[in-house]
Amino acid sequence: MKTPLDRGFFSRDNAKKFARLSGKSLRSGMASRVIGPWDWIFLPALLAVAATVILGTPFQPFGFQLPEPVWPLVLAFAWPLIRPSYIAPVVLGLLGLFLDFYWSAPGGFYTLNLMLIYGVLILARTYVVGQDWRVVFGAWLGAELAFFSIGVLFMALDTGFVVRLWGVFEQMVATTALFPVVLYMLEKFVNADVRFQ
Amino acid sequence: MPYGDNKHFEHLKLPVTWAVMGIVVVVSIIAALMFLGDRREEVDGKSFGDRSGFDSAAEPANAVLSTPVHVVGAGTSWLDDYLFAVRENRILKKKVAELSQYKDAYLEMKDINTRYEALLNLRTEPPVETVTARSVSVARGPFNNNRLIDAGSDKKIAFGNPVITDQGLVGRIVGVSPHVARVLMVTDVNSHVPIMVMRTDARAMMDGDGGGYPKLDWVRGKDSVRKGDQILTSGDGGIFPRGLPVGEAVQGIDGGWRVRLYADRAPIDFVKVLLFKDFSQLPNAESLLRSPPVNQVLPAPVMPKVAANTSGASASAASGTASASAASASARPVAASVSSSSAAKPATAKPATAKPATPKPARPAASSSSAAPVAGDLKPFTPPSTTSSAGGGAR
Repeated sequence: MKTPLDRGFFSRDNAKKFARLSGKSLRSGMASRVIGPWDWIFLPALLAVAATVILGTPFQPFGFQLPEPVWPLVLAFAWPLIRPSYIAPVVLGLLGLFLDFYWSAPGGFYTLNLMLIYGVLILARTYVVGQDWRVVFGAWLGAELAFFSIGVLFMALDTGFVVRLWGVFEQMVATTALFPVVLYMLEKFVNADVRFQ
Repeated sequence: MPYGDNKHFEHLKLPVTWAVMGIVVVVSIIAALMFLGDRREEVDGKSFGDRSGFDSAAEPANAVLSTPVHVVGAGTSWLDDYLFAVRENRILKKKVAELSQYKDAYLEMKDINTRYEALLNLRTEPPVETVTARSVSVARGPFNNNRLIDAGSDKKIAFGNPVITDQGLVGRIVGVSPHVARVLMVTDVNSHVPIMVMRTDARAMMDGDGGGYPKLDWVRGKDSVRKGDQILTSGDGGIFPRGLPVGEAVQGIDGGWRVRLYADRAPIDFVKVLLFKDFSQLPNAESLLRSPPVNQVLPAPVMPKVAANTSGASASAASGTASASAASASARPVAASVSSSSAAKPATAKPATAKPATPKPARPAASSSSAAPVAGDLKPFTPPSTTSSAGGGAR
Protein backbone atom coordinates (compact mmCIF):
# COMPACT_ATOMS: atom_id res chain seq x y z
CA MET A 1 0.00 0.00 0.00
CA LYS A 2 1.28 3.39 -0.91
CA THR A 3 1.85 5.99 1.76
CA PRO A 4 -0.23 9.18 1.50
CA LEU A 5 2.76 11.15 0.35
CA ASP A 6 3.57 8.66 -2.38
CA ARG A 7 0.49 9.35 -4.46
CA GLY A 8 -0.41 11.65 -7.29
CA PHE A 9 2.10 14.28 -8.08
CA PHE A 10 4.11 13.36 -4.99
CA SER A 11 4.74 9.92 -6.45
CA ARG A 12 8.35 8.86 -6.44
CA ASP A 13 7.81 6.49 -9.37
CA ASN A 14 9.26 8.99 -11.75
CA ALA A 15 12.42 9.35 -9.77
CA LYS A 16 12.77 5.58 -9.60
CA LYS A 17 12.33 5.35 -13.32
CA PHE A 18 15.02 7.94 -13.90
CA ALA A 19 17.36 6.13 -11.58
CA ARG A 20 16.71 2.85 -13.33
CA LEU A 21 17.20 4.42 -16.69
CA SER A 22 20.48 6.00 -15.85
CA GLY A 23 22.08 2.91 -17.29
CA LYS A 24 20.89 4.06 -20.72
CA SER A 25 18.63 1.13 -21.40
CA LEU A 26 16.68 0.87 -24.58
CA ARG A 27 13.45 1.93 -22.90
CA SER A 28 14.85 5.22 -21.65
CA GLY A 29 13.33 7.29 -24.42
CA MET A 30 9.84 6.16 -23.68
CA ALA A 31 9.98 6.09 -19.89
CA SER A 32 11.42 9.59 -19.52
CA ARG A 33 8.25 11.02 -21.04
CA VAL A 34 6.45 11.02 -17.71
CA ILE A 35 7.21 14.25 -15.88
CA GLY A 36 5.49 14.94 -12.58
CA PRO A 37 5.06 18.24 -10.74
CA TRP A 38 7.85 17.22 -8.40
CA ASP A 39 10.26 17.34 -11.30
CA TRP A 40 9.36 20.60 -12.91
CA ILE A 41 7.71 22.58 -10.11
CA PHE A 42 8.66 21.56 -6.59
CA LEU A 43 12.28 20.59 -7.09
CA PRO A 44 13.17 23.77 -9.06
CA ALA A 45 11.33 25.83 -6.45
CA LEU A 46 13.36 24.31 -3.63
CA LEU A 47 16.56 24.81 -5.59
CA ALA A 48 15.64 28.45 -6.15
CA VAL A 49 15.12 28.91 -2.41
CA ALA A 50 18.43 27.22 -1.65
CA ALA A 51 20.30 29.29 -4.22
CA THR A 52 18.79 32.49 -2.82
CA VAL A 53 19.83 31.59 0.71
CA ILE A 54 23.35 30.58 -0.31
CA LEU A 55 23.92 33.77 -2.25
CA GLY A 56 22.61 35.70 0.75
CA THR A 57 25.68 34.69 2.74
CA PRO A 58 27.71 37.71 3.86
CA PHE A 59 30.86 36.67 2.08
CA GLN A 60 33.08 38.89 -0.05
CA PRO A 61 35.62 36.87 -2.01
CA PHE A 62 38.61 39.14 -2.73
CA GLY A 63 36.53 42.16 -1.76
CA PHE A 64 33.65 41.56 -4.18
CA GLN A 65 30.05 41.08 -3.16
CA LEU A 66 28.23 37.93 -4.17
CA PRO A 67 25.62 38.55 -6.89
CA GLU A 68 21.99 38.64 -5.86
CA PRO A 69 19.86 37.49 -8.82
CA VAL A 70 16.13 36.95 -8.47
CA TRP A 71 16.04 33.14 -8.86
CA PRO A 72 12.25 32.77 -8.78
CA LEU A 73 12.05 34.96 -11.87
CA VAL A 74 13.55 32.04 -13.81
CA LEU A 75 10.57 29.93 -12.74
CA ALA A 76 8.08 32.72 -13.40
CA PHE A 77 9.42 32.77 -16.95
CA ALA A 78 9.89 29.05 -17.60
CA TRP A 79 6.82 27.56 -15.94
CA PRO A 80 4.17 29.25 -18.11
CA LEU A 81 6.15 28.33 -21.23
CA ILE A 82 6.43 24.68 -20.23
CA ARG A 83 2.69 24.29 -19.70
CA PRO A 84 -0.23 25.94 -17.92
CA SER A 85 -0.55 24.51 -14.45
CA TYR A 86 -2.83 25.00 -11.48
CA ILE A 87 -0.02 24.32 -9.01
CA ALA A 88 2.66 26.55 -10.53
CA PRO A 89 1.07 29.95 -9.80
CA VAL A 90 0.37 28.95 -6.20
CA VAL A 91 3.97 27.79 -5.69
CA LEU A 92 5.18 30.93 -7.40
CA GLY A 93 3.12 33.01 -4.99
CA LEU A 94 4.72 31.17 -2.09
CA LEU A 95 8.16 31.79 -3.58
CA GLY A 96 7.34 35.49 -3.79
CA LEU A 97 6.26 35.43 -0.17
CA PHE A 98 9.54 33.76 0.72
CA LEU A 99 11.45 36.57 -0.98
CA ASP A 100 9.31 39.16 0.82
CA PHE A 101 10.21 37.62 4.15
CA TYR A 102 13.81 36.66 3.48
CA TRP A 103 14.78 39.97 1.92
CA SER A 104 12.45 41.88 4.24
CA ALA A 105 10.51 43.51 1.43
CA PRO A 106 7.00 44.90 1.85
CA GLY A 107 4.47 42.09 2.10
CA GLY A 108 3.27 41.01 -1.34
CA PHE A 109 5.90 43.00 -3.22
CA TYR A 110 7.75 40.15 -4.92
CA THR A 111 4.63 37.99 -5.08
CA LEU A 112 2.80 40.62 -7.07
CA ASN A 113 5.74 41.23 -9.41
CA LEU A 114 6.23 37.54 -10.12
CA MET A 115 2.53 36.92 -10.68
CA LEU A 116 2.30 39.74 -13.19
CA ILE A 117 5.15 38.26 -15.21
CA TYR A 118 3.62 34.78 -15.00
CA GLY A 119 0.19 36.06 -16.03
CA VAL A 120 1.49 37.86 -19.10
CA LEU A 121 3.60 34.91 -20.22
CA ILE A 122 0.81 32.40 -19.81
CA LEU A 123 -1.18 34.43 -22.33
CA ALA A 124 1.76 34.90 -24.69
CA ARG A 125 3.28 31.41 -24.42
CA THR A 126 2.34 30.32 -27.91
CA TYR A 127 4.39 33.17 -29.36
CA VAL A 128 7.53 32.17 -27.47
CA VAL A 129 7.53 28.38 -27.21
CA GLY A 130 9.39 26.66 -30.00
CA GLN A 131 11.17 29.76 -31.20
CA ASP A 132 14.87 30.18 -31.69
CA TRP A 133 16.87 30.79 -28.50
CA ARG A 134 17.46 34.40 -29.55
CA VAL A 135 13.74 35.06 -29.51
CA VAL A 136 13.46 33.39 -26.14
CA PHE A 137 16.37 35.49 -24.88
CA GLY A 138 14.60 38.64 -26.10
CA ALA A 139 11.46 37.59 -24.27
CA TRP A 140 13.57 36.90 -21.18
CA LEU A 141 15.07 40.40 -21.32
CA GLY A 142 11.60 41.88 -21.77
CA ALA A 143 10.27 39.96 -18.79
CA GLU A 144 13.21 41.12 -16.71
CA LEU A 145 12.72 44.71 -17.74
CA ALA A 146 9.03 44.53 -16.88
CA PHE A 147 9.75 42.86 -13.54
CA PHE A 148 12.26 45.46 -12.38
CA SER A 149 10.27 48.39 -13.78
CA ILE A 150 7.23 47.28 -11.82
CA GLY A 151 9.46 46.86 -8.78
CA VAL A 152 10.81 50.40 -9.07
CA LEU A 153 7.31 51.75 -9.55
CA PHE A 154 5.82 49.88 -6.61
CA MET A 155 8.70 50.80 -4.33
CA ALA A 156 8.35 54.46 -5.30
CA LEU A 157 4.65 54.31 -4.52
CA ASP A 158 5.29 52.59 -1.21
CA THR A 159 8.15 54.68 0.12
CA GLY A 160 8.00 57.89 -1.88
CA PHE A 161 11.61 57.45 -3.01
CA VAL A 162 12.96 56.16 -6.30
CA VAL A 163 15.59 53.51 -5.72
CA ARG A 164 19.01 53.88 -7.28
CA LEU A 165 18.65 52.73 -10.87
CA TRP A 166 22.25 51.63 -11.15
CA GLY A 167 21.59 49.10 -8.39
CA VAL A 168 18.54 47.89 -10.30
CA PHE A 169 20.69 47.48 -13.39
CA GLU A 170 23.26 45.48 -11.44
CA GLN A 171 20.62 43.07 -10.23
CA MET A 172 19.22 42.85 -13.75
CA VAL A 173 22.61 41.83 -15.09
CA ALA A 174 22.97 39.18 -12.39
CA THR A 175 19.51 37.85 -13.24
CA THR A 176 20.19 37.91 -16.97
CA ALA A 177 23.10 35.57 -16.36
CA LEU A 178 20.56 32.93 -15.33
CA PHE A 179 19.31 32.57 -18.90
CA PRO A 180 21.12 29.23 -19.40
CA VAL A 181 19.01 27.86 -16.55
CA VAL A 182 15.88 29.02 -18.40
CA LEU A 183 17.04 27.32 -21.59
CA TYR A 184 17.89 24.15 -19.69
CA MET A 185 14.43 24.00 -18.14
CA LEU A 186 12.71 24.64 -21.45
CA GLU A 187 14.72 22.03 -23.29
CA LYS A 188 14.22 19.51 -20.54
CA PHE A 189 10.52 19.94 -19.91
CA VAL A 190 8.69 21.54 -22.85
CA ASN A 191 8.62 18.45 -25.04
CA ALA A 192 9.45 15.93 -22.40
CA ASP A 193 5.97 14.69 -21.61
CA VAL A 194 3.37 13.90 -24.22
CA ARG A 195 0.67 15.01 -21.78
CA PHE A 196 2.07 18.54 -21.97
CA GLN A 197 1.17 18.83 -25.65
CA MET B 1 -28.55 5.71 -22.56
CA PRO B 2 -28.18 4.49 -19.00
CA TYR B 3 -28.42 6.87 -16.11
CA GLY B 4 -25.11 8.15 -14.98
CA ASP B 5 -23.35 7.90 -18.28
CA ASN B 6 -21.52 11.18 -18.71
CA LYS B 7 -20.66 10.85 -22.34
CA HIS B 8 -22.52 14.07 -22.99
CA PHE B 9 -19.88 15.92 -21.02
CA GLU B 10 -16.76 14.15 -22.21
CA HIS B 11 -15.93 16.98 -24.58
CA LEU B 12 -16.66 19.65 -22.03
CA LYS B 13 -13.26 20.89 -20.89
CA LEU B 14 -12.42 23.78 -18.70
CA PRO B 15 -10.11 26.04 -20.70
CA VAL B 16 -6.92 25.51 -18.77
CA THR B 17 -5.31 28.78 -19.64
CA TRP B 18 -8.22 30.81 -18.36
CA ALA B 19 -8.52 28.72 -15.24
CA VAL B 20 -4.85 29.27 -14.53
CA MET B 21 -5.35 32.97 -15.15
CA GLY B 22 -8.10 32.87 -12.53
CA ILE B 23 -5.65 31.47 -10.01
CA VAL B 24 -3.10 34.10 -11.02
CA VAL B 25 -5.66 36.84 -10.48
CA VAL B 26 -6.65 35.52 -7.07
CA VAL B 27 -3.04 35.25 -5.89
CA SER B 28 -2.31 38.72 -7.31
CA ILE B 29 -5.26 40.22 -5.44
CA ILE B 30 -4.08 38.67 -2.19
CA ALA B 31 -0.57 39.99 -2.82
CA ALA B 32 -1.88 43.45 -3.68
CA LEU B 33 -3.90 43.58 -0.47
CA MET B 34 -0.83 42.56 1.51
CA PHE B 35 1.21 45.22 -0.24
CA LEU B 36 -1.37 47.93 0.37
CA GLY B 37 -1.63 46.95 4.01
CA ASP B 38 2.10 47.09 4.56
CA ARG B 39 3.42 50.01 6.61
CA ARG B 40 7.09 49.24 6.42
CA GLU B 41 8.02 52.71 5.26
CA GLU B 42 7.10 54.00 8.71
CA VAL B 43 9.86 51.85 10.26
CA ASP B 44 8.18 51.11 13.55
CA GLY B 45 8.24 48.00 15.65
CA LYS B 46 4.79 46.80 14.66
CA SER B 47 5.38 46.80 10.91
CA PHE B 48 8.50 44.65 11.24
CA GLY B 49 7.60 42.65 14.31
CA ASP B 50 5.32 40.13 12.59
CA ARG B 51 8.26 38.40 10.89
CA SER B 52 10.28 37.39 13.90
CA GLY B 53 9.16 33.76 13.55
CA PHE B 54 10.42 33.57 9.98
CA ASP B 55 13.72 35.16 10.95
CA SER B 56 14.15 32.66 13.77
CA ALA B 57 13.65 29.79 11.34
CA ALA B 58 15.81 31.34 8.62
CA GLU B 59 18.91 31.65 10.79
CA PRO B 60 19.65 27.91 11.28
CA ALA B 61 18.66 27.08 7.68
CA ASN B 62 20.96 29.82 6.49
CA ALA B 63 23.77 28.53 8.69
CA VAL B 64 23.49 25.05 7.17
CA LEU B 65 23.20 26.14 3.55
CA SER B 66 25.96 28.71 3.78
CA THR B 67 28.49 26.32 5.32
CA PRO B 68 30.18 25.62 1.94
CA VAL B 69 30.46 29.34 1.32
CA HIS B 70 32.07 29.88 4.72
CA VAL B 71 34.49 27.02 4.07
CA VAL B 72 35.48 28.53 0.73
CA GLY B 73 35.73 31.95 2.37
CA ALA B 74 38.05 30.63 5.07
CA GLY B 75 40.17 28.97 2.40
CA THR B 76 40.53 32.09 0.30
CA SER B 77 41.34 34.14 3.40
CA TRP B 78 44.04 31.67 4.37
CA LEU B 79 45.44 31.77 0.84
CA ASP B 80 45.32 35.53 0.77
CA ASP B 81 47.10 35.79 4.14
CA TYR B 82 49.74 33.28 3.08
CA LEU B 83 50.55 34.88 -0.24
CA PHE B 84 50.61 38.47 0.98
CA ALA B 85 52.07 38.02 4.47
CA VAL B 86 55.37 39.75 3.76
CA ARG B 87 53.80 42.79 2.16
CA GLU B 88 51.20 42.97 4.90
CA ASN B 89 53.89 42.83 7.56
CA ARG B 90 55.73 45.72 5.96
CA ILE B 91 52.60 47.85 5.80
CA LEU B 92 51.67 47.04 9.38
CA LYS B 93 55.09 48.03 10.72
CA LYS B 94 54.78 51.39 9.02
CA LYS B 95 51.31 51.89 10.41
CA VAL B 96 52.37 50.98 13.94
CA ALA B 97 55.12 53.58 13.80
CA GLU B 98 52.62 56.23 12.69
CA LEU B 99 49.93 55.28 15.12
CA SER B 100 52.27 55.30 18.10
CA GLN B 101 52.61 59.05 17.70
CA TYR B 102 48.85 59.42 17.41
CA LYS B 103 48.39 57.35 20.53
CA ASP B 104 50.58 59.68 22.61
CA ALA B 105 48.73 62.71 21.29
CA TYR B 106 45.40 61.00 21.94
CA LEU B 107 46.24 60.23 25.56
CA GLU B 108 47.40 63.78 26.14
CA MET B 109 44.28 65.27 24.61
CA LYS B 110 42.08 62.86 26.49
CA ASP B 111 43.63 63.92 29.77
CA ILE B 112 43.10 67.60 28.94
CA ASN B 113 39.55 66.90 27.87
CA THR B 114 38.79 65.10 31.10
CA ARG B 115 40.09 68.06 33.09
CA TYR B 116 38.01 70.50 31.08
CA GLU B 117 34.92 68.43 31.63
CA ALA B 118 35.55 68.39 35.36
CA LEU B 119 36.24 72.13 35.46
CA LEU B 120 33.14 73.01 33.47
CA ASN B 121 31.07 70.49 35.39
CA LEU B 122 29.83 69.03 32.11
CA ARG B 123 27.21 66.35 32.24
CA THR B 124 28.73 63.85 29.83
CA GLU B 125 26.71 61.04 28.33
CA PRO B 126 27.03 57.70 30.07
CA PRO B 127 28.78 54.89 28.20
CA VAL B 128 26.42 52.76 26.12
CA GLU B 129 26.42 49.01 26.63
CA THR B 130 27.14 47.01 23.46
CA VAL B 131 26.48 43.49 22.19
CA THR B 132 28.67 41.85 19.56
CA ALA B 133 26.95 39.71 16.93
CA ARG B 134 27.77 38.03 13.65
CA SER B 135 26.05 38.74 10.37
CA VAL B 136 24.49 35.54 9.04
CA SER B 137 22.71 36.72 5.91
CA VAL B 138 22.40 39.85 3.86
CA ALA B 139 19.93 41.29 1.36
CA ARG B 140 21.75 43.87 -0.76
CA GLY B 141 19.48 44.34 -3.75
CA PRO B 142 18.15 47.68 -4.93
CA PHE B 143 14.82 47.27 -3.17
CA ASN B 144 16.00 45.97 0.18
CA ASN B 145 19.17 46.36 2.19
CA ASN B 146 19.17 44.54 5.48
CA ARG B 147 20.94 41.84 7.44
CA LEU B 148 20.23 39.09 9.91
CA ILE B 149 22.52 38.91 12.94
CA ASP B 150 22.77 36.06 15.40
CA ALA B 151 21.80 37.91 18.58
CA GLY B 152 18.32 38.87 19.66
CA SER B 153 16.16 39.76 22.57
CA ASP B 154 17.96 37.23 24.76
CA LYS B 155 20.86 39.67 24.73
CA LYS B 156 18.65 42.68 25.47
CA ILE B 157 18.59 43.85 21.85
CA ALA B 158 15.50 45.92 21.17
CA PHE B 159 13.87 47.71 18.27
CA GLY B 160 15.73 50.83 17.25
CA ASN B 161 19.17 49.96 18.65
CA PRO B 162 21.94 51.39 16.44
CA VAL B 163 24.36 48.93 14.83
CA ILE B 164 27.99 49.79 14.09
CA THR B 165 31.21 48.13 13.03
CA ASP B 166 34.71 49.13 14.01
CA GLN B 167 34.57 51.44 10.99
CA GLY B 168 31.27 53.23 11.29
CA LEU B 169 27.50 53.15 11.34
CA VAL B 170 25.75 50.20 9.67
CA GLY B 171 22.08 50.66 10.50
CA ARG B 172 19.57 49.95 13.20
CA ILE B 173 17.55 47.07 14.55
CA VAL B 174 14.06 46.74 13.08
CA GLY B 175 13.11 43.16 13.92
CA VAL B 176 13.88 41.15 17.01
CA SER B 177 13.32 37.51 17.86
CA PRO B 178 14.90 35.60 20.76
CA HIS B 179 18.14 34.66 19.00
CA VAL B 180 18.10 36.66 15.77
CA ALA B 181 17.66 40.32 14.89
CA ARG B 182 17.20 42.09 11.59
CA VAL B 183 19.25 45.19 10.82
CA LEU B 184 17.94 47.85 8.46
CA MET B 185 21.03 49.15 6.68
CA VAL B 186 21.52 52.87 6.22
CA THR B 187 21.48 52.23 2.47
CA ASP B 188 17.92 50.86 2.48
CA VAL B 189 15.31 52.99 0.79
CA ASN B 190 13.40 53.15 4.08
CA SER B 191 16.38 54.44 6.04
CA HIS B 192 16.60 58.13 6.97
CA VAL B 193 19.39 59.15 9.34
CA PRO B 194 19.81 62.67 10.76
CA ILE B 195 23.47 63.59 10.32
CA MET B 196 25.78 66.56 10.74
CA VAL B 197 28.83 67.71 8.88
CA MET B 198 31.68 67.76 11.36
CA ARG B 199 33.51 70.74 9.87
CA THR B 200 30.57 73.13 9.71
CA ASP B 201 28.15 71.55 12.15
CA ALA B 202 25.54 71.74 9.37
CA ARG B 203 22.59 69.39 9.65
CA ALA B 204 21.15 67.19 6.91
CA MET B 205 19.23 63.98 6.38
CA MET B 206 20.96 60.93 4.92
CA ASP B 207 18.44 58.98 2.85
CA GLY B 208 19.17 55.51 1.54
CA ASP B 209 18.22 54.63 -2.03
CA GLY B 210 19.34 51.02 -2.30
CA GLY B 211 22.79 51.91 -3.59
CA GLY B 212 26.08 51.99 -1.73
CA TYR B 213 26.19 55.78 -1.45
CA PRO B 214 23.23 57.26 0.47
CA LYS B 215 22.05 60.73 -0.50
CA LEU B 216 22.32 63.87 1.60
CA ASP B 217 19.00 65.69 1.54
CA TRP B 218 17.85 68.87 3.27
CA VAL B 219 21.38 70.21 3.71
CA ARG B 220 21.21 73.33 5.84
CA GLY B 221 23.30 76.34 4.89
CA LYS B 222 25.11 77.39 1.76
CA ASP B 223 28.41 75.71 0.95
CA SER B 224 28.21 73.81 4.17
CA VAL B 225 29.48 70.59 2.61
CA ARG B 226 32.77 69.98 0.89
CA LYS B 227 34.25 66.90 -0.64
CA GLY B 228 35.84 64.79 2.05
CA ASP B 229 33.94 66.31 4.98
CA GLN B 230 33.39 63.86 7.77
CA ILE B 231 29.76 62.93 8.37
CA LEU B 232 28.56 62.02 11.87
CA THR B 233 25.19 61.23 13.35
CA SER B 234 23.67 64.36 14.78
CA GLY B 235 21.51 62.72 17.41
CA ASP B 236 18.53 64.79 16.30
CA GLY B 237 15.30 62.95 16.82
CA GLY B 238 16.93 60.71 19.40
CA ILE B 239 17.16 57.58 17.26
CA PHE B 240 20.94 57.51 17.06
CA PRO B 241 23.36 58.86 19.66
CA ARG B 242 25.28 61.92 18.63
CA GLY B 243 28.68 61.60 17.02
CA LEU B 244 28.74 58.11 15.52
CA PRO B 245 31.04 58.14 12.47
CA VAL B 246 29.09 57.54 9.26
CA GLY B 247 31.30 58.36 6.29
CA GLU B 248 32.66 61.17 4.19
CA ALA B 249 30.95 63.45 1.71
CA VAL B 250 31.36 62.83 -2.01
CA GLN B 251 29.62 64.44 -4.94
CA GLY B 252 27.47 62.27 -7.17
CA ILE B 253 27.32 62.48 -10.93
CA ASP B 254 24.02 64.36 -10.57
CA GLY B 255 25.75 67.07 -8.54
CA GLY B 256 24.07 66.09 -5.30
CA TRP B 257 25.94 65.16 -2.17
CA ARG B 258 26.30 61.55 -1.16
CA VAL B 259 28.12 59.71 1.59
CA ARG B 260 30.87 57.16 1.15
CA LEU B 261 30.25 54.94 4.13
CA TYR B 262 33.07 54.04 6.48
CA ALA B 263 31.36 50.71 7.10
CA ASP B 264 32.10 49.72 3.49
CA ARG B 265 35.85 49.86 4.08
CA ALA B 266 35.80 46.26 5.27
CA PRO B 267 33.40 43.32 5.04
CA ILE B 268 30.64 43.51 7.61
CA ASP B 269 31.10 40.20 9.41
CA PHE B 270 30.87 41.18 13.05
CA VAL B 271 28.82 44.09 14.26
CA LYS B 272 28.22 45.85 17.54
CA VAL B 273 24.71 46.62 18.65
CA LEU B 274 24.51 49.67 20.91
CA LEU B 275 21.87 49.09 23.57
CA PHE B 276 20.88 52.72 23.24
CA LYS B 277 17.34 53.76 23.91
CA ASP B 278 16.25 56.84 22.13
CA PHE B 279 14.73 59.46 24.34
CA SER B 280 11.31 59.06 22.77
CA GLN B 281 11.14 55.61 24.38
CA LEU B 282 12.00 56.81 27.85
CA PRO B 283 8.91 58.73 29.01
CA ASN B 284 5.68 56.89 29.39
CA ALA B 285 3.19 58.90 27.38
CA GLU B 286 0.18 58.00 29.53
CA SER B 287 1.83 58.85 32.81
CA LEU B 288 3.16 62.00 31.21
CA LEU B 289 -0.32 63.15 30.27
CA ARG B 290 -1.74 62.29 33.69
CA SER B 291 0.97 64.12 35.59
CA PRO B 292 -0.24 67.16 37.57
CA PRO B 293 0.81 70.71 36.69
CA VAL B 294 4.20 71.69 37.94
CA ASN B 295 2.88 74.36 40.39
CA GLN B 296 1.03 71.63 42.26
CA VAL B 297 4.10 69.50 42.70
CA LEU B 298 6.90 71.98 43.33
CA PRO B 299 6.93 74.74 45.99
CA ALA B 300 6.53 78.33 44.91
CA PRO B 301 9.79 79.85 43.70
CA VAL B 302 11.72 81.91 46.21
CA MET B 303 11.93 85.50 45.09
CA PRO B 304 14.57 88.03 46.17
CA LYS B 305 13.76 90.13 49.21
CA VAL B 306 12.93 93.75 48.70
CA ALA B 307 13.56 96.28 51.43
CA ALA B 308 10.65 98.07 53.08
CA ASN B 309 12.04 101.56 52.64
CA THR B 310 9.83 102.47 49.80
CA SER B 311 7.28 105.15 49.68
CA GLY B 312 3.73 105.19 48.59
CA ALA B 313 1.61 102.21 47.91
CA SER B 314 4.51 99.85 47.22
CA ALA B 315 6.05 100.28 50.63
CA SER B 316 3.91 97.86 52.49
CA ALA B 317 3.91 95.34 49.71
CA ALA B 318 7.69 95.33 49.40
CA SER B 319 8.39 94.75 53.08
CA GLY B 320 10.61 91.96 54.20
CA THR B 321 7.75 89.82 55.42
CA ALA B 322 5.73 90.13 52.28
CA SER B 323 4.75 87.05 50.42
CA ALA B 324 6.62 85.89 47.38
CA SER B 325 3.85 86.87 45.06
CA ALA B 326 3.61 90.33 46.48
CA ALA B 327 7.35 90.67 46.26
CA SER B 328 7.36 89.73 42.66
CA ALA B 329 4.63 92.24 41.96
CA SER B 330 6.53 95.05 43.59
CA ALA B 331 9.95 94.09 42.39
CA ARG B 332 9.31 95.07 38.83
CA PRO B 333 8.64 98.77 39.40
CA VAL B 334 11.48 98.88 41.83
CA ALA B 335 13.90 97.44 39.39
CA ALA B 336 12.66 99.85 36.79
CA SER B 337 13.19 102.73 39.05
CA VAL B 338 16.65 101.54 39.93
CA SER B 339 17.68 101.58 36.36
CA SER B 340 16.10 104.91 35.60
CA SER B 341 16.79 106.91 38.68
CA SER B 342 20.07 108.46 39.54
CA ALA B 343 19.22 108.13 43.21
CA ALA B 344 20.22 104.52 43.24
CA LYS B 345 23.91 104.72 43.76
CA PRO B 346 26.10 101.90 42.78
CA ALA B 347 28.54 100.63 45.31
CA THR B 348 31.58 102.64 44.43
CA ALA B 349 34.97 102.38 45.93
CA LYS B 350 35.97 105.05 48.35
CA PRO B 351 39.45 106.08 49.32
CA ALA B 352 40.85 104.04 52.11
CA THR B 353 39.52 105.18 55.43
CA ALA B 354 39.63 101.65 56.48
CA LYS B 355 36.42 100.10 57.49
CA PRO B 356 35.62 96.44 57.52
CA ALA B 357 34.00 95.34 54.34
CA THR B 358 30.58 94.55 55.64
CA PRO B 359 27.64 94.45 53.33
CA LYS B 360 25.55 97.51 53.81
CA PRO B 361 22.21 98.36 52.37
CA ALA B 362 22.11 101.32 50.10
CA ARG B 363 21.07 104.55 51.59
CA PRO B 364 17.47 105.45 51.30
CA ALA B 365 16.95 108.04 48.68
CA ALA B 366 13.66 109.43 49.81
CA SER B 367 15.16 112.84 50.08
CA SER B 368 16.36 112.92 46.53
CA SER B 369 13.19 111.94 44.82
CA SER B 370 9.93 111.01 46.29
CA ALA B 371 8.63 109.81 42.95
CA ALA B 372 11.33 107.22 42.54
CA PRO B 373 11.24 104.55 45.21
CA VAL B 374 14.52 102.86 45.77
CA ALA B 375 15.05 99.37 47.00
CA GLY B 376 17.87 99.04 49.41
CA ASP B 377 18.79 95.39 48.70
CA LEU B 378 18.52 95.54 44.94
CA LYS B 379 21.66 96.89 43.45
CA PRO B 380 23.07 96.87 39.98
CA PHE B 381 25.52 94.11 39.33
CA THR B 382 29.06 95.01 40.14
CA PRO B 383 31.91 92.96 38.80
CA PRO B 384 33.91 91.00 41.37
CA SER B 385 36.99 93.15 40.87
CA THR B 386 35.15 96.31 41.89
CA THR B 387 33.66 94.63 44.91
CA SER B 388 36.96 93.27 46.05
CA SER B 389 38.66 96.62 45.70
CA ALA B 390 35.82 98.25 47.55
CA GLY B 391 36.02 95.59 50.21
CA GLY B 392 39.72 96.02 50.48
CA GLY B 393 39.86 99.73 50.95
CA ALA B 394 36.50 101.42 50.90
CA ARG B 395 33.91 101.97 53.54
